[in-house]
Amino acid sequence: MSTEIQINSDQLEDAPISRFEALKRVLRQSPMSFRIGGAIMFVHVFIAITGPFWAPYDQATIFTGPPLMGMSWEHLFGTDMLGRDVFSRVIHGAHLVIILSISGSFLGVALGTALGLLSAYLRGWFDEVVMRLIETLISIPYLVLALLLVTAAGPKYSGEPTLVVLVVAFVFAPRVTRLARAAGLDVVMNDYVTIARLRGESAWSVIWRELLPNASGTLLVEFALRTGYAPVLIGTLGFLGFGVAPPNPEWGLMISEYRDLVLASPVVVLAPALMLASLIIGLNMWTEGLARILGRSVRHEE
Amino acid sequence: MVTLLMVSVVVFAAIEIIPGDAATRYLGRDATPEALEVLRERMHLNDPAHERYIKWISGAVTGDFGTSLTSGRPVTEVLAPKIFNTVILATVAFLVYIPFSVVPAVFAAANRDKLMDHMISSINLLAVSIPPFLLATFLLILFVITFPILPAISAVTDESTVGEFAIAIILPVMTMAIVMAAHTMRMLRDNLIEVFDSDYIRMAELKGMSKHRVLLRHALPNALGPSLHITALNINFLVSGMVVVEKVFAFPGFGRELVDALLVEDQPVVQATVLLASMVYIFANLAADLGSMLLNPRLREQ
Repeated sequence: MSTEIQINSDQLEDAPISRFEALKRVLRQSPMSFRIGGAIMFVHVFIAITGPFWAPYDQATIFTGPPLMGMSWEHLFGTDMLGRDVFSRVIHGAHLVIILSISGSFLGVALGTALGLLSAYLRGWFDEVVMRLIETLISIPYLVLALLLVTAAGPKYSGEPTLVVLVVAFVFAPRVTRLARAAGLDVVMNDYVTIARLRGESAWSVIWRELLPNASGTLLVEFALRTGYAPVLIGTLGFLGFGVAPPNPEWGLMISEYRDLVLASPVVVLAPALMLASLIIGLNMWTEGLARILGRSVRHEE
Repeated sequence: MVTLLMVSVVVFAAIEIIPGDAATRYLGRDATPEALEVLRERMHLNDPAHERYIKWISGAVTGDFGTSLTSGRPVTEVLAPKIFNTVILATVAFLVYIPFSVVPAVFAAANRDKLMDHMISSINLLAVSIPPFLLATFLLILFVITFPILPAISAVTDESTVGEFAIAIILPVMTMAIVMAAHTMRMLRDNLIEVFDSDYIRMAELKGMSKHRVLLRHALPNALGPSLHITALNINFLVSGMVVVEKVFAFPGFGRELVDALLVEDQPVVQATVLLASMVYIFANLAADLGSMLLNPRLREQ
């Protein structure tokens, strides 16, 4: 892409500048995709945070108007088969989807990082056991693994947003572990790690103080990338009936609930679909830009 | 092989922790304790878990996955026609996928940083970002509602003619091919550009070789190697995507059987399908490794 701009670090260090100035410079020189993606994400996050306060109706209130009414000023995206306001549901959905995605991927990356770095530091049988386990979990196609986990949790917990977060974390964690281990192995070889070890620091302290800061760039990109995958996984689970339960306004679930209504009122399907698509596109562009700024390449997987 | 065995343990354990046992699910809530006891005895549910595991896995090796709980027929018999359907769908999708990824990649790379490249890259970004279920929904709206030329569901039966079958799989094939091609295309374009910049290509051009010959004989084989790996990842996509696409278009295949079996907790079918899906993935990775060795003589010598 032609928008590739190398951030010259010498240039940044030329004059003593405030952090804010530096941030502004980075932003000004950042790749186009970072800015566009950032703008899309900003809109989404803004809707997610403030949406519940200004959405015209509650997500579950039925008969806010006649069912399956098309677009109008009272109901921007019309109403669904129960007369719920689709615009309000989509807005409330932003809140739900973003919270689920961020917490799921954060938990997954945190878990994977801890396990991966520990594995890289300790080596030996611990590393061996972890890697075997990771290999096994990665060999199960990720969607199949997610579906299996939801089923294994049983009917009591299925449909709970917490379960969705845990499933996302569990599916992501092995893949992050592998990455964090590889990043950790690069760092472990350095003398300062040996010195820290010889100083008698505990394993956790070495990992926290030496390994983590040095692997943080890779892990940051990974977190951004995972946050982009999470809405896809959550939406797919919802769409297949394995995600959060109705009447939660999760977009994937809404799309599957409204699929039969598409002839009567296409907007009820298009609205959540476009919201989901734009969120994912925004996140992907932003991640790619971020990776370029940090000088790392984005590995696309599954 | 070891990994596959580990996968089987994980799958078995996941099914094992589903609350409530198979006998209760089979007979329903108001079954008498005596009937439950008889059935448990007959299904060997009273045996310890490891004995049942050994029994199951030794059966699975010889192709005997037990009896489906919902239909009462052997799992192999239930799955065989579904697998056949899916294999056809997957093969066609794969055949369509190759030109879908190679042709735009070559055009984009040949016209680097020109309008053509930017257009292809933008469309590609959209395709990479959109999850299969969303793409399927968009295609459904486009071709079934806006231009009603294709059937909404692909419910083929044993009696369907080849022609009916071909029409029925157009939309599923398109969905899969686009989803898979998106990632490969981007990678192939970057690889091609890298290869175009290399000395041996300049050498070939200076020798006066025609542009087409340079492309086909030198550039493409060298750029294809790394793309093979992403093709293996695409098999993972294919397995996960099949689940979604078959569900969306009601195509009677392997993926839909997997989801349906999970929904009704038909455990022998779940165990068999998850194990088979993982097997496909593991072998695809192996095949990709072998394939890149064939294309890259340097790896062959190792």
